[in-house]
Amino acid sequence: MSAAVLYQWVLASLPEIVVVTGACILLIVGQLIRRGQEHLIVWAAVAVVMIAALATFLLAGEVRPAYSGMFIADRFAVFFKFVFFLATVLTFLLSRKYADIEGIGISEYYVLLLLSLSGMMIMASAADLLSIYVGLELMVLCTYVLTGFLRRERRSNEAALKYVILGAVSTGMFLYGVSLVYGLTGTTALDGMAAAVTGGPRDPALLLAVVFIVAGLVFKIGAVPFHMWLPDVYEGAPTTVTAFMSVAPKAAGFAVILRVFLNPLVAASDVWIIVAAIGVVTMALGSFAALVQDNFKRLLAYSSIAHAGFAIFGLVAGGPAGIASVMLYLLIYAFMTLGIFAVVVMMRNGDFSGEAIPDYAGLAKSHPGLAFLMLLYLFSLAGIPPTAGFFAKFYVLVALVEQGFVALAVVAVLLSAVAAYFYIRIVMVIYMRDPDRSFDPALTPSVRATLALTAAGTIGIGLFPAWFLRLAQTSVFGG
Amino acid sequence: MGFPLLSLIILTPAAGAAVLIFLRGDDAVRWTALGVTLVDLALTVVLLAGFDTATHEMQFTEARPWVPALGITYALGVDGISALFVFLTALLGSVSVLASWVAIDRRVKAFMISLLAMQALMLGVFSALDMFLFYVCWEAMLIPMYLIIGVWGGEGRVYAAFKFFLYTLAGSLLFLVGVIVLYFQGGETFDMLALMQQDLPFEVQSWLFFAFLVAFAVKVPMVPVHTWLPDAHVQAPTAGSIILAGVLLKMGAYGFLRFSLPMLPEATLYYSTLMLAISALAIVYGGFLALAQDDLKKLVAYSSISHMGFVTLGIFALNARGLEGSILQMFNHGITTGALFLFVGLIYERTHTRSIAEYGGLMKVAPVYTAFLALFTLSSMALPGTNAFVGELLVLSGAFGANLAFGAVAILGATLSAAYLLGMYRKVALGPIRVHAGPTPRDVNARELAAILPLAAFVLWVGLYPKPFLDIIDTSVTHLLVEVQSRGRSQ
Repeated sequence: MSAAVLYQWVLASLPEIVVVTGACILLIVGQLIRRGQEHLIVWAAVAVVMIAALATFLLAGEVRPAYSGMFIADRFAVFFKFVFFLATVLTFLLSRKYADIEGIGISEYYVLLLLSLSGMMIMASAADLLSIYVGLELMVLCTYVLTGFLRRERRSNEAALKYVILGAVSTGMFLYGVSLVYGLTGTTALDGMAAAVTGGPRDPALLLAVVFIVAGLVFKIGAVPFHMWLPDVYEGAPTTVTAFMSVAPKAAGFAVILRVFLNPLVAASDVWIIVAAIGVVTMALGSFAALVQDNFKRLLAYSSIAHAGFAIFGLVAGGPAGIASVMLYLLIYAFMTLGIFAVVVMMRNGDFSGEAIPDYAGLAKSHPGLAFLMLLYLFSLAGIPPTAGFFAKFYVLVALVEQGFVALAVVAVLLSAVAAYFYIRIVMVIYMRDPDRSFDPALTPSVRATLALTAAGTIGIGLFPAWFLRLAQTSVFGG
Repeated sequence: MGFPLLSLIILTPAAGAAVLIFLRGDDAVRWTALGVTLVDLALTVVLLAGFDTATHEMQFTEARPWVPALGITYALGVDGISALFVFLTALLGSVSVLASWVAIDRRVKAFMISLLAMQALMLGVFSALDMFLFYVCWEAMLIPMYLIIGVWGGEGRVYAAFKFFLYTLAGSLLFLVGVIVLYFQGGETFDMLALMQQDLPFEVQSWLFFAFLVAFAVKVPMVPVHTWLPDAHVQAPTAGSIILAGVLLKMGAYGFLRFSLPMLPEATLYYSTLMLAISALAIVYGGFLALAQDDLKKLVAYSSISHMGFVTLGIFALNARGLEGSILQMFNHGITTGALFLFVGLIYERTHTRSIAEYGGLMKVAPVYTAFLALFTLSSMALPGTNAFVGELLVLSGAFGANLAFGAVAILGATLSAAYLLGMYRKVALGPIRVHAGPTPRDVNARELAAILPLAAFVLWVGLYPKPFLDIIDTSVTHLLVEVQSRGRSQ
């Protein structure tokens, strides 16, 4: 291997290297820093992500394959990496005050988030089942620990344990599928697999292998039937970690799924029928189960299941439009979900947990601005125009109808009418009930910045979707 | 492309809503909101003054690319079908602000912002020439209306707001899928004018016709998807009822005129008898329901179902008199029913009851109020000399031209409306004074009169000299009919 090749490889993975190196340095610096200076870690962590983002942006000009086909830095990966950067930076900003309140503001918290970020970045760029596995494990191992970060809370411990056990099972399934694929095709590289199979007869063992891989990946995005862990983990984890997990790892899961599923091998195996069924059931379960939730975090957990279902419809549609629709959906979902979580996080102040929905009664009276932002995020999640959430759903529907899946489109819209109910129920609580307490949200500057950015994204993409749509369309791989 | 008058008309209330955010003090908010709606009204008058009645083409058109990748444009324009509604929306906007002057006493600012946002979106619906833009405005209206009903409504407001929201949402989502299907069938464009030129296969037209029917029928509302209306109307504050009855219900019928008829002519012709039957059913059923009501607001609400039945009857009669009559009748219904809801609101503010049985002899206490109530009641039952007479006569003659049986049923409905309206007026205004405990209600004051007088003027103007209004409608309707008949039968 020549130095020039090595240089190219390092260049391709420079953003990942920046994040991992930054995390290691922060880990050491965190031990040296004096008490009361922890907030410096936050800003250092934000700086690491910013540098990685800058590197990603500067290197986005061309497609860079690296590490003998294990890794590829293309526009598709860049798009997803920016979704991760967004989610991570906003999580840092939200954690600033929340971590103090919950007493988890130690450097490991930020380091684990950074390492999780690097795992997701590897997932987005992975072009081989094994590098996918490495990224996936790096990401989930960090989130296991983060879920259990509230050491003194039983809920948090229980959630972490559940997550570890179920996560390990799903990883096992994924690995088993990979081993089958290797046995059948002699390779684990995504394009190599496709080449090995093209023209050959359909092998039932191959379908079995695909089903195992699907099962392992679907677990990460919380789709039925591998969704059971999600409400418990979302409820038990620190709220900032929940916010992070409901956006970034989900997007990473979709990035991998898009690469794997739209691989000719999988496309040849009629697996899309399974995927369509998963999408319908996932959306139905998420929407109906959310109807009866009174805990805000649990409700958002089911809501995220329902949204995963809707995004899966874009996957079913396939083709450039389908891929772009999933990508745009995830970007918009990141804005509105982080926005609503920002509100939940900042309401956690003093003895107010911010988790019970009835506690929000009458918020509009004392905090009209905050209530309006919540209204914005909630209507966006429900998919009502002119918010971004509408355009996300609209474009998935366009992709579906283009491929002739009109019946699926009808199912999707009817289920989103069901889902609209529980979002507007929260709006009802905020606007139409009388307050029975006073509110004291922790409105720090960093939380304000988060709210401003997410609100701008939620309304901005809704009113002017053209640029973001083009971005998603040009980031589809192969393009 | 000339001066963007339509954009200005739409953006004025939107900008007004934004300005209100920064105002303090309820009175400042009220006066600003009134000022904004009056400016908007003046702009729509300018629009009508510059309107060319000789052409069926879209006028005051504007077009800007919005999402080029999907062929979505920000395209506006009005023709004879939509021009009157743009004016009606602005007129009722001012009336609504006046109607909520004292009726809304808490969170005035948020209310006026919702009201102005509502107005901007309604104007957007009537002037959109792009399906995507149309849909965005159509659906975004749910947000302010949900709040208007749910926050400032009566006792059962939360239930009513939910019912309104979910009914309309479920209906419009199917419409959305229909819009996307139409986009691909019609050559990947959201341009409504281009889609009107497409000749789609009959099967596609049929599916789309029913997908659109669900959305429009919920909004009109047509029996059997009307059940949200009495709840929403009764619980909504007066201004909410005025907007609901005056403008929102028109959108369903407008949807038929803009989408179903020109884009799906073959399906329209094929299913017109079915639509006539549903319309006739609504006329009679709504009439009987109104006959049985003791609640003033419910009575007017059910009468709306009956009167909107006339509108859809006229549309699907598919002849010139029917169509012109139904468009004029929509305008009339907006004026008259808006006024009736205003009157119910006025008396409710004074006595806090809407039960007809608790009223009597109001004429002796509030002569001006009852005199105008008489005018609008007579207008609602289509007495000659009032606006609704012209509209209903045209609709009925159109209906008889299309189908004798449904025309006859509609006559029965007209008779019913005389029965419940006169009965209501007799019990409320005539007889011995019988107002339930509390101070004697005072007569209307100057502010209330300012809201009533323009509406009364239109009742008489359209009733006595409808020509200017029919002129606006005529050319476009004639063109629409020719298109429907020729393209619908050619295949």
